[in-house]
Amino acid sequence: MTAVKKTSAPAHKKTSFAVEFKKHPWLYIMLIPGLLYFIIFKYIPMVFLPIAFENYVPFSGMLGSQWVGLKWFEYFFKSSWWRYLSNTLILSVMSIAFTFPAPIILALLLNEMRSLHYKKITQTLLYVPHFISIVIVVSITYVIFGTDGIVYKLTTQLLGHSVDYLGDPKIFRWMIVGQNIWKETGWGTIIFLAALTNVDTQLYEAAMIDGANRAQRLWHITLPAIRSTIVLMLVLRMGSVLDTGYEHLILMANSLNRTVSQTLDVFVYQSGIQNAQYSYASAVGLMKSVVSVVLVVSANKIAHALGEDGLY
Amino acid sequence: MKKYLSLFLALAMVLSMCSFASAETKEEITLNVMLPDFYADAEWKTFEDGNPILKAIYDATGVKLNITWVANSAYTEMTSMTLADKKNMPEVMVIQGPRDAVTINAARAGAFWDLTDYIPQYEYLSQGEDTVYSNIAVDGRIYGIYRARAYARAGIYYRNDIAAKVGITAEPTNVEEFKALCFALAGYSDDTYCINMCKYVAGTIGIASVMFGAPYTYGVDENGKIYPAFEDAHFQEALDFLRELYAKGGIDPDFMTIESGNWDDAERNQNPKAFMRLDCLDNGYRYEEWLEQNLGFSNAYGEAAVSLLTAIPNSEGKIQIWPQNIGASGEIVITKATTEEKLPAVLKFLDWCNSKEGQTLINCGIEGETYWFNSDGARINFPEGEDSNSSKYTTYTNTILHSMNQLGMNVNGDLTPATAKTQLRDEYNANLIDNAQYVIANPCLTLDSETNTLMGTTLSTDVEDAQVQYIAGKIDLAGLQAAYATWHDMGGDMILMEYQAAYDALK
Repeated sequence: MTAVKKTSAPAHKKTSFAVEFKKHPWLYIMLIPGLLYFIIFKYIPMVFLPIAFENYVPFSGMLGSQWVGLKWFEYFFKSSWWRYLSNTLILSVMSIAFTFPAPIILALLLNEMRSLHYKKITQTLLYVPHFISIVIVVSITYVIFGTDGIVYKLTTQLLGHSVDYLGDPKIFRWMIVGQNIWKETGWGTIIFLAALTNVDTQLYEAAMIDGANRAQRLWHITLPAIRSTIVLMLVLRMGSVLDTGYEHLILMANSLNRTVSQTLDVFVYQSGIQNAQYSYASAVGLMKSVVSVVLVVSANKIAHALGEDGLY
Repeated sequence: MKKYLSLFLALAMVLSMCSFASAETKEEITLNVMLPDFYADAEWKTFEDGNPILKAIYDATGVKLNITWVANSAYTEMTSMTLADKKNMPEVMVIQGPRDAVTINAARAGAFWDLTDYIPQYEYLSQGEDTVYSNIAVDGRIYGIYRARAYARAGIYYRNDIAAKVGITAEPTNVEEFKALCFALAGYSDDTYCINMCKYVAGTIGIASVMFGAPYTYGVDENGKIYPAFEDAHFQEALDFLRELYAKGGIDPDFMTIESGNWDDAERNQNPKAFMRLDCLDNGYRYEEWLEQNLGFSNAYGEAAVSLLTAIPNSEGKIQIWPQNIGASGEIVITKATTEEKLPAVLKFLDWCNSKEGQTLINCGIEGETYWFNSDGARINFPEGEDSNSSKYTTYTNTILHSMNQLGMNVNGDLTPATAKTQLRDEYNANLIDNAQYVIANPCLTLDSETNTLMGTTLSTDVEDAQVQYIAGKIDLAGLQAAYATWHDMGGDMILMEYQAAYDALK
């Protein structure tokens, strides 16, 4: 019995992949671009990680550069690293608290729409901001929130004092979160709307007969049905807690709010690309990645503990 | 190795002498060049597209230019990425920051040809100033040909017609009168400001503080100790002045969000919002010419609506001018993508670029296509009698000439045909000569500090941000001093120590 198992198991696996491939060839072919993306942009760069421990001079190459050990890590902890980390974490927590639930709420609202035609139009319009470059979004923000802008003038009239939308460090993060909500919420609904189509309509009919109102149906049927999708998305989001991007933040930053706009990503970009401190930037980037991995693994553990499927 | 090198040098000399003797023996080469692009929206014609200027350069030198244009705003980033990619380097490129860490590291790692021993062999390159060459040198070796710029370019220009409207007809002769002029201009109207400022504040703060008496970037006190310029009392005087002016509505409250590319908007406008700017003064005469061409201001001598203000004594009677540059606006380097055999030909081409013929082709183009002469013999940008507002000529010039002047070095002075004389251009040119004596230098420019290379930019950004916040009234003096204290703690003290050691070693 055991002997059979040992010999047949690998053989079985092999044939199964070939069989599977024959069954759904297009699925596997469609996988290729995604695989290539991860190999080229995520795995191949890992080969160059040693530059984080070197005084890397591009012209001398990775093998020719001087080995400095943990020098860059020490440098980072001697600098105002706490500012970069706390800016990153605060922005991420705000984004999870406000940006993350937004598409779920919007998807639920869309799901309740009666007119299919109207729903389709709304959905299409909601996707548009996603395709607008962040540079344009920031330019529009500057126009309407600057001292000549309509929002600025309106709030000055209403509140009786002016609000410095573009400069005040306290408002900066809300502007970023607001811009992200405006830009990405519509697009983010797609995955939740797809999950909502899987909800068994018989459940709704049964609930209606039992006298459940709209809110109760939403709470007891719709939300539990998409709960695993929400948890999955949340776990995935945890992996990018330290990813704030830099483009958006650099565009919105100025001398008044720079203290709150400098996140780890901005730091890596500024020291790596702008100041050409490749080793220093790699070291900080590496630290960031290690923390991210820890966060994903623990989020997944928590998901399992809560009885959800999690990521793996 | 040395024997071969000297043999090679001798050979190169013989060869170059031969080529001087007979201009016909031109070596045909293709040269890959990377230059900053100031006209991203103009469609550039390549050699293959029949660009007449590239054709003329080819006819004169046998060099076929293959130019990679990189938007000026992204040039610094592109430089560091280009220098990271050994295999795809251009053979010749402009380096905008000769003292940036990227450049210094690349030079030390051997990315560029060391030109120190070659420069004396070339007719025009050897005419460059030694001090400027040493300002761009790395560890005493010269890796590029500098792009010459006058030292005394910085100053103040303002609209004297508006100043007259607020009751000030005489040009300020000292700092106190300058302040009075600013406050008067600030009060001109509720919708307008005095000083035109943008995100790039280093120029404005630098020009003001140096004029008020502060050193540039770093100072050396009477005991020979190096200290940062912002700790000078005169620097604080400049900040206090800007803060007061801001509070009185003399500066756009949003100045720190205005991109430097939009700096001109506030003044080059039908209804200008600001009447003064602290910048290089060639912008002053360009502004005056803009007013002539677009708003029909008079161009007669003595009637210019723009005044240039520079070299005025501070409260102690001392005159100082901010150095707009180090005598150069970057340099042109020959990378190791150029083979050793090709090097003399490339150097010969760069040398030719400094000749009268080369300078004219690169900066002005071809007579009758991109420039003309008027009846007084002055160079103009469109045929005499044509409508100066017609974009026909500028568009064509941009298509074939583009930002080719970025390849210009002019180490031997400007040899291009002279443009029309205007009051401001004359004043500007006279200033360059008369005021060169007042321009101060950064004592640490060529000194080495590892900490400064590593975190200098980050640290100075924080200090500059605090200064902007101080000007904008967001923090008080205590807040500003806290930012200075942070600068010291986070690495500033190390920088000062390293500079001090290097400075003392030199003495």
